[in-house]
Amino acid sequence: MKPDDFEKQLQRQPLRAIPGEWRGEILSAARRAGGHQLLTFNPQRTSWWRELLWPCPQAWAGLAAVWVVILALNGATREPVQVAATQGPPTAREMLMALKERQRLVSQLVGPCVPAEPSRRFVPRPRSELAHPTVAV
Amino acid sequence: MSPPDFLARVYDDHAQALFAFLLNFTRHETETKDLLQDLFVKLAKQPSLLEAARDERTFLIRLAHNQAIDAMRRRGAREKKHEQFAAESVAVFATSADPDERVFRQALAEALGELPPEQRAVVHLKLWEGLTFEAIAEACGIPLNTAASRYRYGLDKLRARLRPLYEEIK
Repeated sequence: MKPDDFEKQLQRQPLRAIPGEWRGEILSAARRAGGHQLLTFNPQRTSWWRELLWPCPQAWAGLAAVWVVILALNGATREPVQVAATQGPPTAREMLMALKERQRLVSQLVGPCVPAEPSRRFVPRPRSELAHPTVAV
Repeated sequence: MSPPDFLARVYDDHAQALFAFLLNFTRHETETKDLLQDLFVKLAKQPSLLEAARDERTFLIRLAHNQAIDAMRRRGAREKKHEQFAAESVAVFATSADPDERVFRQALAEALGELPPEQRAVVHLKLWEGLTFEAIAEACGIPLNTAASRYRYGLDKLRARLRPLYEEIK
């Protein structure tokens, strides 16, 4: 669409210039607001974590605090386990004594040993239960 | 390029166009300054915003347009006051020593103020930014056909309003 004469006449009207003093005011306000972010700005270094944390930094801070509490509680409850671990495994002598003690308790509960009835000797029998007929001639 | 240089460069390249657009759109100088400052604060906080932009000017106009719309919505009850501002003659154009030119610019500023803000935005971007309808559609977040029709309606209104004066100075 080619502009007609009226459009060209409008286009020729020069727009008002931006007040010169605005430049300093706006840029200094922007720099103040940018603050530390501007001074340390490095797109390659900061972009990935900013993209990760920017949506909701409070949520991430809360999550980090929860993890700190969990780790603290974990550390507090792990101490007795460490003490037990430092005692080391039982020796063979201790194990033997424990075993004898156990045998003693079992014998008290069960009573004196009675020899078991000897099992009957197994005699193989014919496979078939039918009696073999004898034929008299 | 350090960030302060980045901001200064963006300001020097685009602030004049953004100022003219916002002034014509809001018809209020103090509000224009606030919106322009908000835009540069936003850029200072997120310099990466411009990295993904295909065309910086179009992208910045889009940001400015969205901020202006938000500001108008926030005003809510004060909307009528805003419309009063729009109808008033704001110095959108440079002053001229030629009396005829001065009168024409004054009348043009008033006629622009009578257009609905969205038509005014499209007319401004087409006539004084020289953007294509595609770029205007992108900047204003509207379909291409809507941009074209808004321009046509807006221009027709300006033509009807300014015809006598235009014929006189032609």
